[in-house]
Amino acid sequence: MNRWPDPDHALQALARIVSGCEGVQIAMLASRDGRPFVWRSAVAGDSGKLAAMTSSLTALGRTVLRELNAGELDHLLVEGQDGKLVLVGVPGLDGLLVLAVLAERRARLGLVLGHARMCVRALAPGA
Amino acid sequence: MNACHKLVFIGEPGAGKTTCIAALSDIAPVTTDVGCTDDLARRKASTTVALDYGEMDLGEQGMLRLYGLPGQERFRFMFDVVRDGAMGLVVLVDAASAQGLDGLAGTLATYADELRQRPFVLCLNKHPDPPMAFRERCMAMLRDQGLVAPLLVIDARSRSDLAQVFRMLCLLLDHGDYPVLDGERGGA
Ligand SMILES: Nc1nc2c(ncn2[C@@H]2O[C@H](COP(=O)(O)OP(=O)(O)O)[C@@H](O)[C@H]2O)c(=O)[nH]1
Ligand SMILES: [Mg+2]
Repeated sequence: MNRWPDPDHALQALARIVSGCEGVQIAMLASRDGRPFVWRSAVAGDSGKLAAMTSSLTALGRTVLRELNAGELDHLLVEGQDGKLVLVGVPGLDGLLVLAVLAERRARLGLVLGHARMCVRALAPGA
Repeated sequence: MNACHKLVFIGEPGAGKTTCIAALSDIAPVTTDVGCTDDLARRKASTTVALDYGEMDLGEQGMLRLYGLPGQERFRFMFDVVRDGAMGLVVLVDAASAQGLDGLAGTLATYADELRQRPFVLCLNKHPDPPMAFRERCMAMLRDQGLVAPLLVIDARSRSDLAQVFRMLCLLLDHGDYPVLDGERGGA
């Protein structure tokens, strides 16, 4: 079943990450098949491409975990010298939406992940 | 050990890429399909968002490593992920549906530059004998993009049909004039 969250409510949750977490550049909710649902950004960016990449990475992550019998995907982290991308699924939606948070180098990983988790919990049905 | 050859399947959503690799693979295929959330859901329940992977052993002729890509233009970047070492491309068309021609137009628009650089075969799938007008439209679309390729009518789930596609790619590689791309050809 597809239960899309209310877009305004979702945007508010994204705005809290972008303004509340140092160094976050983009927060986006992408559908599992790679389309942007809503996003907030502090910089210019190609939302369509980030959404597609988010779904590809998430699907590959799930596939790898399945092959390794390593259980359900919790989060994905891709970290480079100049930035990091954190992907976390919104619980309770059958994988329908994934939160992607792009942050610059100075952002603290623990804080970004913490904010991302808080955000997806706020978007889960019945939250 | 026999040589490995990497084949990349492209084509519109619904052309049959995932079905084909799952049917042909000797190993359990790697799939990355998820439920569709857009209009495509009316035509098919799931869609590939990263890649399909399978292996097909042709004995003497070698081993084929089969990579299927998502059909939507937004996943174009996945081609860059799998391109290294690809000996050729298989362009699948849904010849049973009126949307097949639009799908091919989209695929050609997205991949024309890549198709100029390596051999490919245009494969009409899902129809045992597509009308001549359909075939001619497909060839005209290739010409409009300045592309030349053999057109085969196949059942993409059939091993012998895919073996024929592979032989065709080998012929093209031997006799065609393609730039030798760094790190490509043969590929293991
Ligand atoms: N009749 C027929 N149906 C096929 C063939 N290949 C795929 N299909 C069907 O076409 C649909 C789309 O296939 P899929 O493999 O998901 O397409 P993809 O989007 O290109 O990966 C599925 O319902 C398949 O069962 C074929 O060779 N013949
Ligand atoms: Mg597919």
